[in-house]
Amino acid sequence: MTQTPTSTIDGPTTQALQATLGAEHAALWCYSLAVAFLVEPQQSQARRDADVHRELRGRIEQTLTQLGQRPVSAQPAYATPQPVTDPASAARLAVVAETDCQTSWRALLEQTSDRGLREAGLKALTDATGRGARWRAVVGATPVVPVFPGRP
Amino acid sequence: MAGQVGPRLTRRALLAVVLLGPPLAACAPAGTTQAQTPDPLVALVDAARADAALAAAVIAATPDLAGRVAPLRDARAEHAAALDAEVARQAGRSATPASRPTAAAGAATLDALRRSVAASGESARQAALGVDARRVGLVASVAACCTTYAALLG
Repeated sequence: MTQTPTSTIDGPTTQALQATLGAEHAALWCYSLAVAFLVEPQQSQARRDADVHRELRGRIEQTLTQLGQRPVSAQPAYATPQPVTDPASAARLAVVAETDCQTSWRALLEQTSDRGLREAGLKALTDATGRGARWRAVVGATPVVPVFPGRP
Repeated sequence: MAGQVGPRLTRRALLAVVLLGPPLAACAPAGTTQAQTPDPLVALVDAARADAALAAAVIAATPDLAGRVAPLRDARAEHAAALDAEVARQAGRSATPASRPTAAAGAATLDALRRSVAASGESARQAALGVDARRVGLVASVAACCTTYAALLG
């Protein structure tokens, strides 16, 4: 992702990259909250998933910086769709975080024909689908794998 | 009479070529035309139908696997319908109900299904690198879904 030629990345693509960065910021915040309520083995899973989001966040920020854009900052806090009070609601928040990331990565794919970004976006969408499937299994959501991950 | 109709049709055909030629050429890679380039999504439709049929065969052979495999069967059937609708939209025709090759020959085992859906995911991923913006979301979703199922069945 960081070696993408700048010539094929335009305004809409950088906007979509910023939106994806926003989703990754939000996911990290969600996991930091969820970890406090989860129990093992989900707690360790949440930490591993957060590590992946941290890595992705860094790579998007680096890409935007190389494109001469100032990466958007994280919000101080985010509104959760439902209160997080126990392991089940914490796992549901992880589902929401991964679903939002899937949506933003798919939207990025729709805004770029750059091959490097397409490859990165496809990997990120697929990885988010896998993480989301684990959390969906925890909360009993069906199907565990969405039929069209990332479709708004 | 026939001598007059012939040239007139030819002129009309030539006019059509002149009118349609440049946009078609602009859409297709150099040296090809749209008519000669098969829609890459057709292969993805076939793969989706084959996976759905194989999944159904796995369930028939081993009913205990229905809980794990039925969602995959249903997802691949939905993929086939959505991809076929997109092929039809681009070709300017209506969608075709399942009529293409279905399950490949071979054992209807969970491992065969896992390998098949993994290959489908990789094919969709490759296709998603090259398709236009209007199609990439659908193809990328299919790739992500297949690859995730392959991992879950592994």
